[in-house]
Amino acid sequence: MQVSTMSSLCPRAFHLSNSTVVDTARHTTSSVARCLREPGPWRPIPSPGNKQSFRLRSRPFSTAPRRAAIKTIQQAKARARSGPFSAWGAVAFLAAGVAITFYFRNEKARLERQRVAEAAKGVGRPKVGGKFALLDQEGKTFTDEDMKGGYSLVYFGFSHCPDICPEELDKMANMIDLVASTTQNRIGANSFVDPSSRKAPLLPLFITCDPARDTPAVLKHYLAEFHPGLVGLTGTWEQVKDVCKKYRVYFSTPEGVKPGMDYLVDHSIYFYLMDPEGDFVEAIGRQHSAERAAKIIVEHMKDWKGGVKR
Amino acid sequence: MGLFTTSSTPTPPPPSHASPTPSPDGAFEAPDRQSRAHCWRARDDFFACLERNGIVDGIREKDRAEGACGSEGKGLDRECAASWVTYFKQRRVMEHNKKQTLEKLAKEGARPMPEGMALPGDRRKPTS
Repeated sequence: MQVSTMSSLCPRAFHLSNSTVVDTARHTTSSVARCLREPGPWRPIPSPGNKQSFRLRSRPFSTAPRRAAIKTIQQAKARARSGPFSAWGAVAFLAAGVAITFYFRNEKARLERQRVAEAAKGVGRPKVGGKFALLDQEGKTFTDEDMKGGYSLVYFGFSHCPDICPEELDKMANMIDLVASTTQNRIGANSFVDPSSRKAPLLPLFITCDPARDTPAVLKHYLAEFHPGLVGLTGTWEQVKDVCKKYRVYFSTPEGVKPGMDYLVDHSIYFYLMDPEGDFVEAIGRQHSAERAAKIIVEHMKDWKGGVKR
Repeated sequence: MGLFTTSSTPTPPPPSHASPTPSPDGAFEAPDRQSRAHCWRARDDFFACLERNGIVDGIREKDRAEGACGSEGKGLDRECAASWVTYFKQRRVMEHNKKQTLEKLAKEGARPMPEGMALPGDRRKPTS
């Protein structure tokens, strides 16, 4: 009993003695000891036995000072006139309200993006993307490892595509330039691009669904008309089928077609935004304009805090 | 404009899809921006003619289309690969049906879904 009440009382006594006592460990312990020995200076003469414990219980666990009482009539009148409100209080209240509204709006949008971005990470999530080894338009090997270190935008299509792919590739070129112009002065100084490995903040990839007709040379000629930064990837029928499967792209190209044949390939028409670790972030569809898509991409880039893991 | 809309076009330029340029590694170059533009213009001319004549399906109503839009049809066949022509005609029917369905739904009081509701695994048909 005695100990428990003391522990709640002592901080106050301790506080008072602190101003005169140097705060070394030794002094502190000695002041605590004193505090345990003698009651605080604010308390009148201690009386032994039951009477003391009774007095202690009157303010059992409170160390807060008593509220200042209204001393004069003027004070009482002033309090009664204004009530608990004041002009400064109103200003502070409104400012806090505006600040909180802004904060939560931003935070809500950020969390939504984070939710989208993290939906593909972790256990039990549908995995979009994965390992692959293909050839770029120069005939050099390009693997998923070459995507890492920065964001990538992946599009599946084929060069003999009648209308949607060319339209989307023009949009993609627009997106690349818009993202580059918004992020230009951030490259090197920010965390979403590893400046040693990548020149552009966003690596645009075009993966063909039609490997029989889209050889590296065909892709080189075809993609040069859209954007110089585009990397075109092709491979064998099996390799392309595999990468399409990993990106959940519908793949209908028949096996064993000849380069000169006239046929169409059915495929998905989404842009896949991949983060610097090679994980899927978000799909951007036909309904998004280049401006809207670039904004989505840049916002995800700004959110990136993971650094570059290799 | 109007280069391929009249049957009296004297000597049409050789269509790129008929004699594609070989690529250095043994395949054939895809149609470039210019030949795509020619093809799309021929398509738009053909469809404008179908529109004027109230024809939706250029494949099922082949005879009517040939009768009313023969020259435009020939221009389309000349400028575009056969697979593209079929695709354009099918897409026109699909878009017509889609438009009608949406109009019907709008009449019934349906509202469009918010943007971005589609999932990455979704696949859209017909695509190209």
